[in-house]
Amino acid sequence: MIGLRCLQRALILAGGLATLPLAGAALAEDLKIALIAPVSGPMARQGDLMRKGAELAIEDINAAGGIKALGGAKLALVVEDAGDKVETAKNAAQRLVANRAGVVAGTGSWSSSLTLAVTEVTERAELPWLTLSYADQITDRGFKYVVQTVPVASQLALNSMPTVLDMAQAASGKRPTKVAIISDSTAASQAFVKPLREGGFEKLGVTVVADEVFTPPLTDATAMVQKLRATKPDFMLFYSTSFPDAKLVLTKMNEFGLGKGKLPAVTVGVQLASPEMLKAVGPELLEGLIVVAPNWPSKAQEAALPGLTKRSGEPWLGQDTISTYGDVWLVKDALERAGSADGAKVMAALRATNRADGPADYYLGDHVAFDDKGRRIGGAVGLVQWQGGMPYLIWPKEDAVRTPLWPKS
Amino acid sequence: MFSQRPRLAYIAICALVAAYGCAILFTTNSYYQLMLALVPVWAVMGLAWNLFSGYSGLVSFGHAAFFGIGAYTTTLLFAKAGVTPWIGIPLAAVTGSLAGIIIGAITFRLRGHYFALAMLAYPLAMLYVFEWAGFQEVSLPMKRENAALYMQFSDPRWNALIGLGLLVLALLVSLKVERSRFGMSLLAIKQNEIAAQVAGIDAFRWKLKAIALSGALAGAAGGFYAVILLVVTPNTVFGLATSAQALIVTMFGGVGTLWGPVVGAFLLVPASEILHAELGGKLPGIQGVVFGIAIILVMMKMPQGIAWAVRDRFLPRRGRPAQAVSASAVERLATPFVLPPHAAIMLEAEGICRSFGGVRAVADVSFQVRTQEILGIIGPNGAGKTTLFNVLNGLVTPDRGAIRLSGRDITGLPPSRICALGVGRTFQVARVFARMSLVENVVVGAFVGTATDAEAAERAREALGRVGLGALAEAPAEALTNCELRQLEVARALASRPRLLLMDEPFAGLDAGEVRAFMSLIRTLRDDGLTIVIIEHTMHAMVKLVDRFVVLDHGSVIADGAPQDVVRDRTVITAYLGEKWVPDAVA
Amino acid sequence: MPFSPPGLEAVLQAVATGLLVGSTYGLMCVALGLIFGIMRLINFAQGDFLMLGMYFALAILSGLGLSSLIGSLPALILAALAAVPVFFAIGWLMHLALLGRIGRDRPGMTEGEVHQTQLIMTLGISLVLSNGGLMVFGSTPVSLNTPLASQAVVLDSFGGDILVFLNEARILAAVAALAASCGLYALLHRTDLGKKLRAAADNPLAATYMGIDVARCHRVTFGLGFGLTALAGTMVATYYPFQPYVGLDFIIVMYAGVVLGGLGSIMGSFWGGLVIGLVQQMSTLVLPMQLQGTTVFVVFLLIMLVRPQGLFGRSVERA
Repeated sequence: MIGLRCLQRALILAGGLATLPLAGAALAEDLKIALIAPVSGPMARQGDLMRKGAELAIEDINAAGGIKALGGAKLALVVEDAGDKVETAKNAAQRLVANRAGVVAGTGSWSSSLTLAVTEVTERAELPWLTLSYADQITDRGFKYVVQTVPVASQLALNSMPTVLDMAQAASGKRPTKVAIISDSTAASQAFVKPLREGGFEKLGVTVVADEVFTPPLTDATAMVQKLRATKPDFMLFYSTSFPDAKLVLTKMNEFGLGKGKLPAVTVGVQLASPEMLKAVGPELLEGLIVVAPNWPSKAQEAALPGLTKRSGEPWLGQDTISTYGDVWLVKDALERAGSADGAKVMAALRATNRADGPADYYLGDHVAFDDKGRRIGGAVGLVQWQGGMPYLIWPKEDAVRTPLWPKS
Repeated sequence: MFSQRPRLAYIAICALVAAYGCAILFTTNSYYQLMLALVPVWAVMGLAWNLFSGYSGLVSFGHAAFFGIGAYTTTLLFAKAGVTPWIGIPLAAVTGSLAGIIIGAITFRLRGHYFALAMLAYPLAMLYVFEWAGFQEVSLPMKRENAALYMQFSDPRWNALIGLGLLVLALLVSLKVERSRFGMSLLAIKQNEIAAQVAGIDAFRWKLKAIALSGALAGAAGGFYAVILLVVTPNTVFGLATSAQALIVTMFGGVGTLWGPVVGAFLLVPASEILHAELGGKLPGIQGVVFGIAIILVMMKMPQGIAWAVRDRFLPRRGRPAQAVSASAVERLATPFVLPPHAAIMLEAEGICRSFGGVRAVADVSFQVRTQEILGIIGPNGAGKTTLFNVLNGLVTPDRGAIRLSGRDITGLPPSRICALGVGRTFQVARVFARMSLVENVVVGAFVGTATDAEAAERAREALGRVGLGALAEAPAEALTNCELRQLEVARALASRPRLLLMDEPFAGLDAGEVRAFMSLIRTLRDDGLTIVIIEHTMHAMVKLVDRFVVLDHGSVIADGAPQDVVRDRTVITAYLGEKWVPDAVA
Repeated sequence: MPFSPPGLEAVLQAVATGLLVGSTYGLMCVALGLIFGIMRLINFAQGDFLMLGMYFALAILSGLGLSSLIGSLPALILAALAAVPVFFAIGWLMHLALLGRIGRDRPGMTEGEVHQTQLIMTLGISLVLSNGGLMVFGSTPVSLNTPLASQAVVLDSFGGDILVFLNEARILAAVAALAASCGLYALLHRTDLGKKLRAAADNPLAATYMGIDVARCHRVTFGLGFGLTALAGTMVATYYPFQPYVGLDFIIVMYAGVVLGGLGSIMGSFWGGLVIGLVQQMSTLVLPMQLQGTTVFVVFLLIMLVRPQGLFGRSVERA
């Protein structure tokens, strides 16, 4: 219903615009969508993946006739380098809003620290912002110009673990009861682990037998893996934001005879399901590793967009690319409904998004909408598992392309 | 106070404020406004580093500790308690200062490389602790009402202006320090901490003051940085890059000068940002490479930094006045001074013993020095002369024995205290601040016992007059001859108006003419009422100068008496001087 | 199980890992300690030398494809052997062209000023190397995928109750580190060159009078330090993923080890590194994993404050 009403409004606005030749001429200019992502520094690869998503989306939108509500205006991409520090991210955002002419909305910038800094600027500049970063803090600050297109960490944590237990039960016939947690000390990891540690697992009937936090960079994983071996958990929850650390832990697990799925490891963060991970760690060590993904290409997306993977030039698409792709489509959707490039109107339309099709196909979950904080409603958690050197979506069942592997004991 | 151009600096600061203020007012692009706010942060950070490390010479790799503590003080006060940064930043200065005092008090016992490396550890340890405590990402809450009360301006130019204000404050503090006994004392410590202590400077106290002040500036810079970025993470504020940045802008611009850090920050911060923005995407790391090359080139071509190089190029160096008077002009009393036979005892050493790791450097040494006496302590290398001197002025505490100055026990007092009681000392190697005037060089010795810097400068001029360098008072020390440098060293010791002067090998390296002139200077000083103890390893020139010899060998006194008696003492000659000296000595 | 107190296995494992990791740290520390001991130079580029060694190993094994030609172990040994002369030459040239020139045409500079200038220059070199590395190698972490890294020798001396795992890559690294350190010891104490180096370190002025070319000694030292660090890099690369900024992860450990061993005591640095490795591992037995890094700093600071000459150092006065 809401969707219809929006469409109605958009049509009326479009009709109104057609009668205003002056405004139409001004709008024939390209509308700019900003991407602030780490293009240099240790996270540059993620930034690159995001850029690919944004570029593909803009290509597709423009090929389909641009923003119809704005006289077929075309979209263009502006990329600013968030670097690897809060200061560089802040500078990038300031650079963007200072030379803002034509920028209607933006997305970025991967890690939570960088996103926090960027949104401090965009909020003040009243520039609509979307992010795939899922730290709770981003939408806890009462900001009006930001939306998170994936479930926030605390929800993700509480929603994903029952999913993992269901999946394990379905795959092995036995519900796990003992978990060991290994996490790094970054804000994203701790935001995820904290609600589970503080009662989340208990409610699910799972005992935490070991809980180790390390500060990156990890120099050596022996002590932690030794504890894993000693405490004999049913599975491990492993959250690492950098993959050198992840590799050290996985390598060490293999060395201690826990690798290759013998001790099921559930990790969070899509960089663990990236082609680089495969290159750096090798297929043997990754085998059986389960990754909790806030977003991942689903069957619906593949049906909607055949060939996207091929066009990206990547062996497979991950969250960074698909979410950024979807974010641009969400902006397009909002622009159509707002019928204006004005920041406040675009933001209002963005917040009012309520779609079960179109852009919603690029996100897991049945529909895309936002609550009053700007958090995603209707998000679901995907589980991706490495099987034979490829990451496959194994959960939710209706989207899954492979059946989960879990050791039967 | 001691500078030749006190006004110039203030004019330059005013010019900076005017120019930078105009730049801020006429900048409309918010990105450049942000840059204009960030440059002062790093300039202040550089000034903070310079204030401590640049002047005191103790290289700190850990200024991120103060910066980070300041940033977290401001942020946590705001985020958890709602305290505005207007109060938070001054409090950041206080916590930064406290951190400085605590770290300094613990770490000052280390010197040189040890100190530098220990400082490296503090911010990194704090980084882990802040991560562990759950402060991985703290953001300053956004205030929509009364935003200016919380330093959140809709016009970012205010931020730049606050930054400028902070910079001016830091410049004024640095200027005040540089131009006062504070800065001079730090420089003296940088040059030679032991000599500074002997000249009456309480090194520990000054260093602690310097690190407290430096910590305060760094803390304020950190607090302000948090206000600009609005998000604080341990890595950004405690990371190695933060400490390095402070050091790099200073080293690049020029160490030990007010303008060095400012020049460094004004050049490097925008350059780095422009490179990053323009080329960062295509050539990641380009700014680091350019930075690195710039540093390498500056270190090779102008190791003292750009500010000094520019100053040397455009401000002519001061030379010595044309008709400089040389030391020979020192006049003596018409009638030679004769030491009264029952003059009061000025200094008394009784049974001094001191061992180092089982080796007895000084063993049961006792002697007395009478008022206005010139006493020569002689002995071969390793006889224990220098250790004895070090014991006399408090650098080394004796294992046993007592030292009395005019009957007062001074055993175990710190060197600066002993200096204040009237014991001066010269060193064999005259170390000077080459670029500074003689007054500035000597004034270090005059701080003890003077309340104001003006009075200290007065005493420094008086001391220069006493050694015959009065006419050169304003000339830079680098213009002096070797012999004049020795006189300068004596003047520095005289500036504290000592009653007793200990001189360490004053004649080493002087030619015969210079030795004669120097001897006459020493006699004149004695005629003026000074008591003098000289150590030398040869008797050569000393025979004609001293009233009495004390001869040391293997840490013990082997002879004590009038020159003519000692030089004829065969035990002395054979045991100490060796057979070949016998004919000379007896002649 | 009833006989072994809880955690005995963990203790044994920590000691074993500590010794293995510590030996590699030892080699890094020896290389740094050599440069510091002889040249009195705080070298901040040391971590980046390590990084270069790692990429060197990658180039030999994957770039030249040697590991598929002759197998990864021989290729690794070849890379390690080649790293020393290659990086010795680079270090030698670096000192000749950059560090050695400081103060050469400025006789007025004091020894302290020369060292301070050199120190800042090493900061510059470090910036150029790590960021240049970023430009050349890219920012994505890479690693040598040798089978050694994920295989272990299992010590099973308590009838299956207590297993101690010794990582094969680490064993190899530790053996190489010990061999290289012993080699350096022999060089310093058994050869003429070593005597000259030590003389140049103890008293540069006196060494000059004895006809020793101190500048040349420093060049050789810097080259040796570079070569040994690169050797350590090739070894660490077998089990540690790396990117151009990886040096930062190790530089603190290196300094901590050198200080622990006693600044200026070259072989003491090896023991210092070993102790750091052990402390790092043992601390996890009693403290949260997260404070592992802090433990190293606390030990470092305590040693500095209580016994600044280090565990094996000589005197503090010279530093």
